[in-house]
Amino acid sequence: MDSRRSTRGDDLPLERFVRSEKGSDPEPPLLTTPPRRRGAVAETVRTVWLVMRANPLTLLGFLVVVVMVVTALVVGLTPILTHLLLGHSLSATPYPVNSFSTSDASQGPSPRHWMGTDSIGTDIFSQVLAALPLDLVIAFSVAGIALVAGGTLGIIAGYFDTPGTLGGAGATIILRVTDVFLAFPSLVLALAVAASLGRGTEAAVIALLVTWWPYYVRLARGEVLAVRHLPYITAARAAGVTDGTILGRHVLRNILEPLVVYYTLDVGTVLVTFSTISYVGIGVPFGVPEWGNMIEQYAGYLATLPWTVVGPGLAVFVTVLGFSLLGDGLRDILDPRSRRILSQGPAVDSTSAAPIAAPAAGEKA
Amino acid sequence: MSEPVLSVEGLSVDYTVGAGTYHALKDVSFEAQPGRVVGIVGETGCGKSTLAHAIPRLLPEPPAKILRGKVIFQGVDLLKVPKWRIPMVRGTNIGMIFQEPINSLNPAYRIFDQVAESVRIRRLRESGKVAVFRPGGAGFDYSRPRPPDRSTAIAHPFVPSIPPGPDPIRVDPTDGGKGRSVRSEVLDYLRLVRINDPETVLRLFPHELSGGMRQRIMIAMALSERPSLLIADEPTSALDVTIQAQVLTLMKELMDELRTSILFISHDLGVIAETADDVGVMYAGHLVEFGPVVDVFEAPRHPYTKALLRSIPTRYKTDGPLPSLTGNVPNLSRLPSGCTFSPRCALAQDDCRVDPGPALAGWVARPPGRTNSAACFHTEGVEGLP
Repeated sequence: MDSRRSTRGDDLPLERFVRSEKGSDPEPPLLTTPPRRRGAVAETVRTVWLVMRANPLTLLGFLVVVVMVVTALVVGLTPILTHLLLGHSLSATPYPVNSFSTSDASQGPSPRHWMGTDSIGTDIFSQVLAALPLDLVIAFSVAGIALVAGGTLGIIAGYFDTPGTLGGAGATIILRVTDVFLAFPSLVLALAVAASLGRGTEAAVIALLVTWWPYYVRLARGEVLAVRHLPYITAARAAGVTDGTILGRHVLRNILEPLVVYYTLDVGTVLVTFSTISYVGIGVPFGVPEWGNMIEQYAGYLATLPWTVVGPGLAVFVTVLGFSLLGDGLRDILDPRSRRILSQGPAVDSTSAAPIAAPAAGEKA
Repeated sequence: MSEPVLSVEGLSVDYTVGAGTYHALKDVSFEAQPGRVVGIVGETGCGKSTLAHAIPRLLPEPPAKILRGKVIFQGVDLLKVPKWRIPMVRGTNIGMIFQEPINSLNPAYRIFDQVAESVRIRRLRESGKVAVFRPGGAGFDYSRPRPPDRSTAIAHPFVPSIPPGPDPIRVDPTDGGKGRSVRSEVLDYLRLVRINDPETVLRLFPHELSGGMRQRIMIAMALSERPSLLIADEPTSALDVTIQAQVLTLMKELMDELRTSILFISHDLGVIAETADDVGVMYAGHLVEFGPVVDVFEAPRHPYTKALLRSIPTRYKTDGPLPSLTGNVPNLSRLPSGCTFSPRCALAQDDCRVDPGPALAGWVARPPGRTNSAACFHTEGVEGLP
């Protein structure tokens, strides 16, 4: 470079080249983006906002889930808090759940009764509200326990599956047991377990748990198998990182995204299945407000008082839709690639842009 | 000559895929002397990467199976070390740089977290809080090292000499992690691999960097553990030519600065000629020739090496097809009997087709003045080949 610099002065264009080269020494700027001075939290918030803006349905799903959760908290906690603070319980529902009044019986939706009343004058909207905490808690926790238990087993089965080792034997056992559970259709298995345990909320929850975990084993194992032979895992092993750290740090973080997305979508499915078990009449005890239970209870009035069934049905529908939309959006938020596309426009870097560009080129050809 | 850092003796590795068994490595033997760069060169599929992965025992077993041989690293056979102890050897004793910079960084973490992980592993091992793998007089000592005594600390073999300049690289191996933040050390290593504006790069994710930058990060990560042997498995092959040149220049500068032992694997004869002190030529899982790079390239003693060198296009050639070797590399599951190169060799005679030929270690006396050895019966005829 020194010898080239000595030629400067003879020739203006050449000098310009030399200067520009000097400016980029020792290498041309390889960054694809100008540096962003932003904290991790602010960046995440920004990503969430960008995904929401690009896909308003995600925002809708997010809002539905937030409204549901907040309402459930209010409805569920009001009696407890008022009992502690005032000495007597108050309800957050507009009408008492078990009240009846002949004057209000069999009314359609109105400003007084948003979802109408049943044949004995009980407010449907109050019942739907009262059912919300139970339904949400069960949906979140059943899917959550299945995620943790099934996910852990799946990660173990995926990472230590070398034949001929202790881990390999463990993986085989886990997978064969999983297969046994997967052999039955999930709803049928859940109904069978719930029926054999007798009617009750606990029975329904146990039935759901027994049915739910194998899917997470399969999903987690598949993801681990895809990740564990990737070069960065080998590189971490070559750097002296132990198996435990590789699993907890490198593997888990990279399979978390599909698991979390699946979990979010699954909350809705658990809700539907739980309501189905109650609807069939082997879940929640009669009289406990629960959406499936309500639908079962009012099924006979479908022709005469349709709003009694529409209310709880709509609640199930909106909740499941909310979680589905949120899950789809979450997939975008958690994917670093879409994050970059959303926040910075098309990638400049040729190497990382290749996987995105390739399918488009293939379609044209 | 001093004690070799690494000595591979008769290493054989098979892959079992379905019903077929592929002999990826067969009786490979060579030595790496301290402070020297050993190049391994050969065509695709000749076993170079298998060799690189077999040394720190990174081969997936199965399908791979180490049949026999020794990998003696600083006096200890790594193949006899219990598997759960192997992570102690990796990183701080044997470092590795991989072929694919695109996927070798975890996409979920920022650059800082990834380099810091390596720095923290080394600090933890230096601190005396965990058991480590240390060379000792009689084999290896797996106990916890004594906490570093700063007054008598000897210079680590991996201390970069400090180049004069406005911003000297301060890498102090005797510090033991006290007094310096991980962050400042990470920054130093990023500067060591010539990254502009390391402060910014720290905050980026791997997908925001180009291939050359990622490979620099990989090099920084490997160096930050201060290994006594660095295995570079085709570090420049996945990069395009200009970036390849940059990374190669960097590696050559680092080799001069750091004086560590390096096993440099490449399919590119030019790269090997520029970087290596010793070179081993591989063909179909065999090491066919080994010796100082000047001797091997100037006066090859194996017909395959000769043919390989002849196939490099020269600038003087203006017409006619480029010289090439007839035939194909043999299928590794059905190697020819005798010398594997015999079906394509101009010098092959009947004995070559029967006898597998001399293994590389400790055979064929090296003629006076010649230091490269070749696994061939007819080395005297090689010079006469076109």
